[in-house]
Amino acid sequence: MDRRSFVAGSAAAAAALAIRPSLAQEVYPTRPVTFINPFPPGGAVDVVARPLASVLEPILKQPVVIETKAGAAGQVGAQFAASAKPDGYTLLMHIMSISGFAEVDKLFGRPVKFTRDDFIPISRFIADPMVLVVNDKQPYKTLKEFVDDAKKRPNELIFSSSGLYGALHLPTALLMKAAGIQMKHLPTAGGGPALTAILGNNSQVLVSSIAASSAQMKAGKLRPLACFGAQRAPAVPDVPTMKELGYNIEFYLWLGMFAPKGTPVPIITTLREANKKAVADPKFQQAVKNLGQDVAYLDQPEFRAFWDLSAKRVEDAVRLIGKVQG
Amino acid sequence: MEATFDSLFLGFSVALRFDVLWYAFLGCLVGTLVGMLPGIGPLAGISILLPLTFGLDATKAIVMLAGIYYGSQYGGSTTSILLRIPGEAASVMTCIDGNAMAKKGRAGAALCIAAVGSFIAGTFGVIVLTLIAPPVAAFALRFGPPEYTALLTLGLIFLAYMSTTSLVRTLLMAALGLLLGTIGIDVMTGHFRFSFNIAELGDGIGIVPVAVGLFGLGELLATPSHQVKGDVTRPRLRELLPTRKEWHESAMPIARGSVLGFVVGIIPGSAHIISSFLSYAVERRVSKHPEEFGKGAVAGVAGPESANNAASTGAFVPMLALGIPTGPVTAVLMAALLIHGVPPGPTLVNDHPNVFWGFVASMYVGNLMLLALNLPLVGLFVNLLRIPYAYLYPLIIMFCVIGVYEVNHSIVDVWIMLIMGVVGYGLKKFGFDPAPLVLGLVIAPIFEMSLRQSLIMSGGNYMIFLDYQQRPIALGLLATSAILLLLSVISSILRQRDWRAKLAQAEAVERQ
Amino acid sequence: MMIRADHVAGGAFIALGVAVFALSGDLPFGTISAPSAGMMPKLMAGLMMAFAVIVMSGARSSQAVTEIDWSDRWHAILVIVITAIAVVFYQTLGFLITMSLLVFALLVVVERRNPLRATAYSIALTLFAYWLFSKALKSPLERGLLWF
Repeated sequence: MDRRSFVAGSAAAAAALAIRPSLAQEVYPTRPVTFINPFPPGGAVDVVARPLASVLEPILKQPVVIETKAGAAGQVGAQFAASAKPDGYTLLMHIMSISGFAEVDKLFGRPVKFTRDDFIPISRFIADPMVLVVNDKQPYKTLKEFVDDAKKRPNELIFSSSGLYGALHLPTALLMKAAGIQMKHLPTAGGGPALTAILGNNSQVLVSSIAASSAQMKAGKLRPLACFGAQRAPAVPDVPTMKELGYNIEFYLWLGMFAPKGTPVPIITTLREANKKAVADPKFQQAVKNLGQDVAYLDQPEFRAFWDLSAKRVEDAVRLIGKVQG
Repeated sequence: MEATFDSLFLGFSVALRFDVLWYAFLGCLVGTLVGMLPGIGPLAGISILLPLTFGLDATKAIVMLAGIYYGSQYGGSTTSILLRIPGEAASVMTCIDGNAMAKKGRAGAALCIAAVGSFIAGTFGVIVLTLIAPPVAAFALRFGPPEYTALLTLGLIFLAYMSTTSLVRTLLMAALGLLLGTIGIDVMTGHFRFSFNIAELGDGIGIVPVAVGLFGLGELLATPSHQVKGDVTRPRLRELLPTRKEWHESAMPIARGSVLGFVVGIIPGSAHIISSFLSYAVERRVSKHPEEFGKGAVAGVAGPESANNAASTGAFVPMLALGIPTGPVTAVLMAALLIHGVPPGPTLVNDHPNVFWGFVASMYVGNLMLLALNLPLVGLFVNLLRIPYAYLYPLIIMFCVIGVYEVNHSIVDVWIMLIMGVVGYGLKKFGFDPAPLVLGLVIAPIFEMSLRQSLIMSGGNYMIFLDYQQRPIALGLLATSAILLLLSVISSILRQRDWRAKLAQAEAVERQ
Repeated sequence: MMIRADHVAGGAFIALGVAVFALSGDLPFGTISAPSAGMMPKLMAGLMMAFAVIVMSGARSSQAVTEIDWSDRWHAILVIVITAIAVVFYQTLGFLITMSLLVFALLVVVERRNPLRATAYSIALTLFAYWLFSKALKSPLERGLLWF
């Protein structure tokens, strides 16, 4: 990144801000801020966190370091952040799946490692609606055709996912319940393998984020039937939403920033202000656009309400799936 | 065909631009470095450098990151040969015969053969990629769970040819490896297996900490400095180079390794590492002197080193032609393209010919650069062995600790490495070979998952593996496995003295 | 009966297998056509124990356990203990302190080298690694609580 040139570019702003009261108390932040990335490098969080960090650095006037703590589908990083010192120097970037871990642990009677209450939501940056796609060798042109056929032959069609209780499994479970259909579940080791499975026609249905499957949709290898947003998505304007089709399901792959519980309010306020400025930066917007997405920024109060709603859907879906028999 | 050459010409006009060349060189250099450092492999190297590419355009970024990937396959052999520490997971097999060669004073030759083999394999891979990427990619998509299961079954059969120890000891180690591979969350049911509430164990134990511990640390623990004779004399240039006989012995393994590695490489999934294991087993199976394996067989270096390089090139085929990642490394490369606004996918060739062909052409150049970079370094690397051992091994331990730690910033990984060091020490004392354990660990999660996925697809019917209309590849692979098994049964019924018997005999003589 | 190396090794693997069975009691086994979480571990532990029995049955030809050369044991124990101590403190004290102490300890305690040379070597080495990772690989090493 040409951080350096960017810093130079905003030199005027920096110079203006440099004339701070010299007697000021220790103003947060006084040392580098660490973002915990709970997914592998280059993953869903990393690709947003890095451009965000580079626009936040001149705003916070401190380096922003991204530390990867990948493992257990994001649980390791979240647990690490939950137990970090609540001083604003360790923040967590996480996606919608943060809401499900406690519910899954409860399901298996395991000690719950952290709950939603261990985190303070700060801002939401992305909310990519999910889209239901079928392999182009399948005859379905509309969701209705697909649902009707699936009803006729329960447990014959196969849907792939990134893993049990994962981001691609949960919305599918909600749809199956709402439409009263049953399909076989083919869990794989991640979003990439789930996509590979449907491209090879080893599964017929996949609920994926729009960004992850857009290239394949454009090439005609996958056919989108319905989208899980409240409104139609700009990337696939011809695809109806679940709501239009009569299913009250909404599901997004969103990404937000969290602080550990107990982080002082002034620090949270500083971060909210900084994030607000960062999302307005054309550099960040372009970076997100490159990913095939749009910035869907929410400030703390709205994000908190959104998260509560989203978490309820996730928890419902986990309970709906229940423990897998076997 | 002519169109291909036109496109390639376009590619070279991009790849040979000075700035693009520079980034290709940087990538190759860093790749060689991360390949050499124990623990840090291509995945960590690419991830670490990914943010640096944000300011570059898509072509330069992908050229540099890909350079790290295939460059690390060159570098990985260095520490394996010199120090018996796998620089990255695909170099595990090189440790065995490469290090044995080094102990015989042929370290330079082993390094040269590894570099030349990597070069030939890499270039072969790029040529195939240039000419027939789309049909080859279509083949890759035919690899669903049943094909995977069949491939790994074949891998397990090949286990028998992997070790110098007796068959039952080899199988015992493999079973232990497969057992260790089941640690972590079971993706099919969500149960945690043997993870003792340690979140880090949820993903299972990594191959790198285990391999570094078993091979590298275990060896260091069993080698106190007073047992090391400090008479490594400065090798003369002629001794650095392989002899005519060594070149001759490595020609066919390089050829076989290139083809085998490429084929395994294009298959989506994370089976890449097994390309070097498979190549080693194949070489041993076809060799006229299988008893030399483990004691410095040239083919045991040439085959696996070529295979892992060809596999890394093969992995680009589905990524470029279809936009699907074949493994974690290609997933990061795809993310890099995405970040630069070049969505990888079936339309990449048409939408961004500059990026696509520039990238392909840069791989020709990159492989040449790596050869030019690695051959002169052979002399330098061999001199590493002249550092007094008492000073050398603390250095190695330090790099092992930080290398393993840096990958995931996980202290649990470092503990796994230490424990595996002690285990490796113990196994050595009791005459067990750790290589099958590592292969078992690699195969276990993929094998179990693809088997269970296949059964989900077929509703529990095992006939899915034998359906020659729908799944000819799976059937073919399983038939090959069956024939191999049958052959070994027949030979043992006929009580022919195979190489194992010869080996046992040789050992008995040695002991007396 | 003389205890042989393979008796000990086989016994250890059988003990490990028993432990696996004891620990995986709550994992469902499933059926052959629908294997569940417990099948693979139990199968592999079972196989491992079976092979261990075969190894033990052929133990007669292996060397006596007392004949195994343990002359390197003090070296091994010291190295592993010193490294383990370094790992315990790695995240708290950071790379520079822990790793230079590790190299120093290995050189002085295990190898009985001149402390002065050991100091110089360990500090030079860690500084080089620190530079390598932070500059060449752009991946700063663990800093610990003291921020260096």
